[in-house]
Amino acid sequence: MINATILSYTTFVYFAAFLLYLLYMVMHRSLLGQLATFASLAGLTAQTVAMILRWIESYELGFGHAPLSNLYESLIFFAWTIMLLYLIVEWRTKNKTLGAFVTPLAFLAMAYASFSPDINSHIQPLIPALKSNWLISHVITCFFGYAAFGLSFALSIMYLIKRLDKQGSKGIFVKLIPAQDILDDLNYQMIVIGFLMLTLGIITGSVWAHSAWGTYWSWDPKETWSLITWLIYASVIHSRMVRGWRGRKIAILSIIGFCCVLFTYFGVNYLAGLHSYAK
Amino acid sequence: MNKSKTKDTPNPVWKFFSSIKLTIVILILLAIVCIIGTVVPQNEGAREFAARLSPQALSIFKTLNLFDMYHALWFRVIIACLTLNLVVCSIDRFPATWKKFRLRPDPDRNKPFEHLPEDQSIITKREFANTADDVGNLLQSRFKRTREKEVEGSLYFYAEKGRFSHFGVYIVHLSVLLILIGALIGSFFGFEAYVNIVEGEQTDQVMIRKDMRPLDLGFTVRCDKFSVDFYETGAPKEFRSVLGFIVDGKEVKRTDLLVNHPAEFMGIAFYQASYGNVPGKTVDLEISLEGDTASSYSVKAEMGKEFSLPKGKGAFQVADVRTDIMRLGPAALIAIRPEDGKPQDFWIFENHEMVMKKLPAPMVKSPKFNPSSFKPYTFSLKGIQTKYYTGLQVNRDPGVSTVWAGCFFMIAGLFVTFFMSHQRIWVRVDKTSRGTRISVAGTAGKNPVGLEREIVNLINRMKQLS
Repeated sequence: MINATILSYTTFVYFAAFLLYLLYMVMHRSLLGQLATFASLAGLTAQTVAMILRWIESYELGFGHAPLSNLYESLIFFAWTIMLLYLIVEWRTKNKTLGAFVTPLAFLAMAYASFSPDINSHIQPLIPALKSNWLISHVITCFFGYAAFGLSFALSIMYLIKRLDKQGSKGIFVKLIPAQDILDDLNYQMIVIGFLMLTLGIITGSVWAHSAWGTYWSWDPKETWSLITWLIYASVIHSRMVRGWRGRKIAILSIIGFCCVLFTYFGVNYLAGLHSYAK
Repeated sequence: MNKSKTKDTPNPVWKFFSSIKLTIVILILLAIVCIIGTVVPQNEGAREFAARLSPQALSIFKTLNLFDMYHALWFRVIIACLTLNLVVCSIDRFPATWKKFRLRPDPDRNKPFEHLPEDQSIITKREFANTADDVGNLLQSRFKRTREKEVEGSLYFYAEKGRFSHFGVYIVHLSVLLILIGALIGSFFGFEAYVNIVEGEQTDQVMIRKDMRPLDLGFTVRCDKFSVDFYETGAPKEFRSVLGFIVDGKEVKRTDLLVNHPAEFMGIAFYQASYGNVPGKTVDLEISLEGDTASSYSVKAEMGKEFSLPKGKGAFQVADVRTDIMRLGPAALIAIRPEDGKPQDFWIFENHEMVMKKLPAPMVKSPKFNPSSFKPYTFSLKGIQTKYYTGLQVNRDPGVSTVWAGCFFMIAGLFVTFFMSHQRIWVRVDKTSRGTRISVAGTAGKNPVGLEREIVNLINRMKQLS
């Protein structure tokens, strides 16, 4: 179980990255920013290696499936998608402040997976319902969607902080945060990516459900909650595209949307349903 | 927003349904009622929840049909409102979109070049004619539609791409309609049913889930075998039914049915849904002889078949097999036909000791419950051999392909809406005292970053021309 060991160490690497991003924002030293990016990259690399090792190990155990099949593996993958997407955004925008708001999400997901006593980190064989080619595409699309919404959530928080500061004094903490309209623009881009991915995730899930249970939609709580999330983000997109809402309203709606994402992911486990193997 | 056209008679209903505010309200309302649907248990799960409610609350829940919310009339009214809103909005805004799509601005416009940033024009020493040709070719290679016009010694180009991106939104809206239509087709012309088939048996009827009404399939389906495999951990590994489809007494198709691998026959789809055990017709018996404790005989006896008794004092058969009789557990009825004397029968139980303690004294004494009532034999029931049955979900949904078409268009439409934009580029080539000047300007429906990148790209390529 070397993979689980590497993954639990990665948790601390992400925590270190978070502290470095935070220090960078406060102290404005570019070296700290570079270290933070380096820590994130190192963590992501280690995590990627661990996930591949886990995949190989599952073949050695005779199960042979991608590490995307239970709550432990999905949390690890969630953190992975967040970090990957974040590093791409950091590279494209050349701004590191988002890191201080995003790395906690990855760190928390990893910490929950690695250290919660309720979560089993063993590689388990696939039950018949999960033995499908749709597993990989369904999980990947859903979690890239969740990750994009996670980034949008972080950007919304940044937007609101930046906005609060506008009214008060010029704090050192917000100095490096990009201007409000840049945040708003990036936020919208993340929502768009997330929405497209969530749509793909729901569709792949429907196709899969149709071949497993004979019905593409059965109002199972997880399905319904993903629809609720989809409806919230659909209203965000409409209010922005057609009504031209910007800034604070979009940020607040995006935060509500991400709460729905979290409930779709975790909360639904407390309601019985077809997705109970994800517990 | 885009209501440029004023209608002759502003219909208030039309106005109401063409509002985007309504869209947002309905989307959020739908999200909220869906939350209720996940918190209040639906259908089968509702009974326990309903038992804890006060009578008043229960009557409110029942009136609102909250236990089958997604099929309630009011829920469908909300969906219908959303659909109407979507259709009206699309129709209402279409003319403006069509205008944008059809618009052919003249190439020789100078307005785009007013306040042009310096880095968007370059000066080259090359001749005007060659430069103009090259610019024309470059634009043609990068844009689908280009036009040019010469005015007073200057050459104007107009190039555009992504005109169709204006229709992305309509593709998405159409896809939502397709999905809803597919769902309607399914609910009108399809069914969801189930059937349990014991290994070796067949059926031509299934049970509709909604109203528990039997439905004739029009053919026969037989289960030859069901098997279940487990991992070492005890978790199930595979459920497999071997099915045969029979039309007019002839087997037409034979298939293995697994979870995630449904089978289809004559437009009806079969899914592996569940399984279970039923008592078979074979029991394991042990017969011992009085005074001969050393030897006992094991017999696998099928119900209704006659077996001769050991040491030949007659014959017996298993006349009846029950998994549970009078809450005393599994039992079998043994019927003895002696060579001479009266036939007799008696029940034997798998849990003999326990049953004898539970039964009232007169019954214990009765020969009907005495496994040794036919001397010198003592019968004991070791077990009933069980058989598997396979639980099949049996569906027909003619709306599925429409739903999948809708899904495809939704993804395509979202791609067009989010990632494509209508880019318009104007290029002017004119002569100045310092040489030939090329200026590039542009507008985009959305994604200004993409346009900027396109212009930078064009400028760089034009620099390479010289």
